[in-house]
Amino acid sequence: MLLARNLKQIAARSPWLYRINSGSCNGCDVELATTACIPRYDVERLGCQYCGSPRHADIVLITGPLNRRVKNAVLRLWEEIPDPKVTVAVGVCPISGGIFRESYAVCAPVDQYLPIDVNVPGCPPRPQAIIEGVAQAIEIWRTRL
Amino acid sequence: MNVLSLLGRNLRHGPYTEPFPFGPAPTAERFRGRVVFDATTCEGCKICERVCPAGAIKFSKTKDGLAFALWHNSCVFCGNCEFHCPTGSVHQTTDWHLAHAQARKYALVELGLLPNQICSACGATALATAPSLRGVTPPLSPEETVTLKSMCPKCRAKFLKARRAKP
Repeated sequence: MLLARNLKQIAARSPWLYRINSGSCNGCDVELATTACIPRYDVERLGCQYCGSPRHADIVLITGPLNRRVKNAVLRLWEEIPDPKVTVAVGVCPISGGIFRESYAVCAPVDQYLPIDVNVPGCPPRPQAIIEGVAQAIEIWRTRL
Repeated sequence: MNVLSLLGRNLRHGPYTEPFPFGPAPTAERFRGRVVFDATTCEGCKICERVCPAGAIKFSKTKDGLAFALWHNSCVFCGNCEFHCPTGSVHQTTDWHLAHAQARKYALVELGLLPNQICSACGATALATAPSLRGVTPPLSPEETVTLKSMCPKCRAKFLKARRAKP
């Protein structure tokens, strides 16, 4: 029993990623797919894997400026992700609104509604920058376990 | 045979995956990354503020002069500011390491100041902007540029007019 508990502490855990598109132009989503699917970048080296269900996720990647239309869906989805979770804002849209700032149709910045932990600016950020952000998120996630 | 040659090539080439978080990442020479501002060469024309599609650049008048501020979290790295800048004082570097924790969100700002100065000719207070050198023939010598930079816009115009009339 003690051994099992120690093993649990020693184990380098693997956070699973979950992607929320809150009205993004798909630029950042393509870069997220690139970091996962293209062997050149390969985010799975950090132990991360994209999962299809919010209930399996540890790190949430939010793209897009939070459209008024998808706002409630995004907030509900985010609530479904179990704690401890780390939220990463990918691209300038969720961080500040980017070029959509002050539009009537968007609710950016996202940190008005959700606690964001890591920001990855860029329009879109390059895959290596996303990997850098995910690496920072993993460090934050380890402290919260 | 095909498989063997493929195997040999892969063995020679090594892994295709970039070592990035554990090693350096290759960056293109002309990569459009973090924008930097050089106040010493700025003419103060504010064209960058005008062309910025994201409204990331802001000039504001302070008691010390004209302050430049660019928020990297709003910048979309389009390069319009660099393209339109007449002196190249706003330009993009290849730095893309911008991922940061939320606590640093509002600290990611590029700041600059065009200070006020006393005109060396008339004594009026004016901004110490770099003089506009386009269309000045013959080109100004370095000493003339320094003299011109220490003047207010009115005295600069007088200086250039006198220079045109001289020969």
